This record gives sequence, structure tokens and C-alpha cells, in this order.
Amino acid sequence: MKQAVYGLLLYGFLVLPPVAALLESIMIVHMHMQMPLLVLSGIFMARFFQIHFPRFFEKWNKNGVPGVLLFMVIWSYWMIPRMMDETLSVQAVEVFKFISLPFLAGVSLRDSWSKLGSSAQSMVFVFLTVVFLFMAWIYIGADKQICNNYLEVEQKTLGWGSLAFALIMIIYFLQLFYIDQSEYK
Amino acid sequence: MHHPGRLRLKHGNTSGVTSCITITSETFKEGVVMIYKHRTAFAMILVVLFGMTLFYISTDGFRAFTSESARSYELMQKNPAVPSVTLEDSQERTYSFDELAEDKYVLLTFMYTSCTTVCPQLAMNMAEVYDLIPGEYVGKEIVFLSISFDPTKDDPETLAKYRRAFGSDGQTWRMARIKDQEELERLLEKLGVVVIPNEYGEFQHNAAFYLVGKEGRLQEVMDFTNVEAAAGTVTAILEKGENRP
Repeated sequence: MKQAVYGLLLYGFLVLPPVAALLESIMIVHMHMQMPLLVLSGIFMARFFQIHFPRFFEKWNKNGVPGVLLFMVIWSYWMIPRMMDETLSVQAVEVFKFISLPFLAGVSLRDSWSKLGSSAQSMVFVFLTVVFLFMAWIYIGADKQICNNYLEVEQKTLGWGSLAFALIMIIYFLQLFYIDQSEYK
Repeated sequence: MHHPGRLRLKHGNTSGVTSCITITSETFKEGVVMIYKHRTAFAMILVVLFGMTLFYISTDGFRAFTSESARSYELMQKNPAVPSVTLEDSQERTYSFDELAEDKYVLLTFMYTSCTTVCPQLAMNMAEVYDLIPGEYVGKEIVFLSISFDPTKDDPETLAKYRRAFGSDGQTWRMARIKDQEELERLLEKLGVVVIPNEYGEFQHNAAFYLVGKEGRLQEVMDFTNVEAAAGTVTAILEKGENRP
């Protein structure tokens, strides 16, 4: 339950208008820091929901697949360049971001993760790697401004940042093949 | 003999309807029970449907994934009227947009002369479109207009230099500024042009070719990087000689 409180604190901090405005003023921070942190706050807060509504998760997310699908849907949704722009120009989209990332993506990911088999967990990693590679390709490759609220330079930075994320995940995969995990258990 | 047969037929019909209703309500119940038993599978389908609806609604039916394409799409749906603005061109002539555009199409772009990134490319592409449009239309059916949104720096003298650099004749392709800041802002807002100043004292802005119809309404928003497509669209409209209401 302590975790849920920490999650709530993190969430409360991220929601503060000056903090949100600061994080959103830099494109790469908006996508690669604010959004993951929102998901993380949801992952922590998930404890609260699991304790108070165990039957709901048991019945509707028995094998973890619906939850992880929901996570993928929400995460991909916020990778659409237009959504990044609209969080800045449309209030309702901003509100939806602060609800969907922690409570739909974060909570369902936490509940699903332990229920998924290791191969399904790998699928999630593959999904994230593919998404990051795709982002890198779009944002580095674009020869014009994709988001009207950010400069082209920032767009390129975001692209390279995504590529870095993807590479880190690929390195993680490679070590799975080359290093015997059981030695470290 | 006739009578009972008819009756029986009627009777048979009614019982058929009842059994049919019973079947539907039973199937329905079974359906509910099935969903209840397979809630997780059902939740999966719900999530997928939710995702598809969410993406569909947010991207105007998978049409616009960037706010720029959303803007073009929305503009083309709305066809806003271009507000009347007063222009001052490179030859120091002052006239209203409506006077210039009277009974003509106008191919419009926005720029500022001290821009080093997108504007020169935009102007070069504009020149290419200008060359690709059949000569008989130029000046008679269509005029080209580059509007500067930096009226303080872009006085007629500067505009004249810029005009010569890109080979515009100053008549069928004019370069002009809007001196009145309020008028300029109204026009930019109507056409959804977002201008952000960057750290080098430059402006970054979303660029496009705008085609204004004879009735002074925005008719097409075209990708300025695709010269052939833009010239093709404009020529087709000119050849048709019709104005979308």
C-alpha cells in the first residue's frame, strides 16, 4: 500500500500545472520523461486497485492479455505526433493524457505483467522496441515539421532519443541470449 | 374443408412466432452466460474495439496523424472566407486583397525574407509551380501572392530584392506585406498558420500553398514540397473553370 501512496505523490507532482508546463515545453522530455513517468505512477498506484478490487482484475483480466493490450493501445496512441500537439492546444486531450497513461496504461500493465508468461513479456519488449524504432525513423527522417508546437531541431532530438531507447532494449535482448540468467538468481 | 385448413395454418404461424421468440431470448441468455464465463476474452475484444474507435475519432478517420494534416483537412472541410486585408507590395502599391483577387484565383503562401530555412525552398517551389501552370491562365485567371508576416523588416525595398532573387515579375506574382498587425494576425489565424519565434531571431512556421477561389474562400491547402501535385491540382481547377461553392 506504501507503493500506491508513492505513486499518488508522483502523480500529484506531475499534474501540478507548472511541472506539466515545464516538462511539456521540451519535446523529448514530454514524450520520453513525462509520459513514462505517468505510466510509472500508475504502476505504483495499481497496488491500491488490486487490493480494493481484486475480483474485478481476476475476472476481466484473468490471463493478463486484455490489460497488456490496453497498455499497448494507450501507449501507441500517445506516440501519434498529432496527439502531442493537441495536448498543448486542446485542454480535453491534456486531461485524457493524465487519465489514460497512469490509470489505463499503468494500472493494467502492472496487473497483467505477473500473469503473462515469459514469452508474452518478451512480446511486450518487442512491441516497445518496434515502436521506438518507428518513432526514430519518423522523427529523424522527417524533412519537415511534424508537430506545429515544437521546433524541427527538437523533433530530431526526439528521434535520436527514441533510437537510444530502442538500442538499449535490443542490447537487453542480446544479453538474454548470451548470458546465462540462472547464474544470477 | 376450406375453413379448418385456414385456421390450422393461422395456428401454425402463431406458434412459429412464439418459438422463434423463445429461441432468441434463450440465445440471448446463453450469450450473456457465455460473455460472463469468458469475461477475459470479451474484455480483449472490448479493448481492441476501444482502441480502434479512439484512433479513428482522434485522427479524423485515419486521415490526419499530424496536426498539420488535421489543419489542412479541417480547412478544406470548412472553406473559410479569407478576411479582407490591406497589402503593400514590393512596388509600394497599396490595395486590398479583395481588389487583387477580384474574379481570380489566388495562390497564396506566407514567408519572411530573413528566413533561411523553409522560406527560400517555399519560394523556389512557388516559382516552379508558377512555371508549370499554363501561361494563358497566369495573370488572367490566377495570381500568385507571397505574404510576409514580418512587416517591420520586410519593407517594399527588401521585398523587391527578394522578388528579383526568385524571378517573380511583381505583377502576376506579387510579394507583399500586411502592415496592420491586427489584420495580419486575423488572416494567420483564419488560415491556421502557427508562427513560433526560435532562438536565432527567426520564425518557424507551418508552410503550405493555399489556393483561394474566385469567391474569396479558401479552396485547397497543398503540400508545398510536392510541386508537381500542387501544380496539377491548380491546373485541373483552372481547366474546369468552376468554383466550389
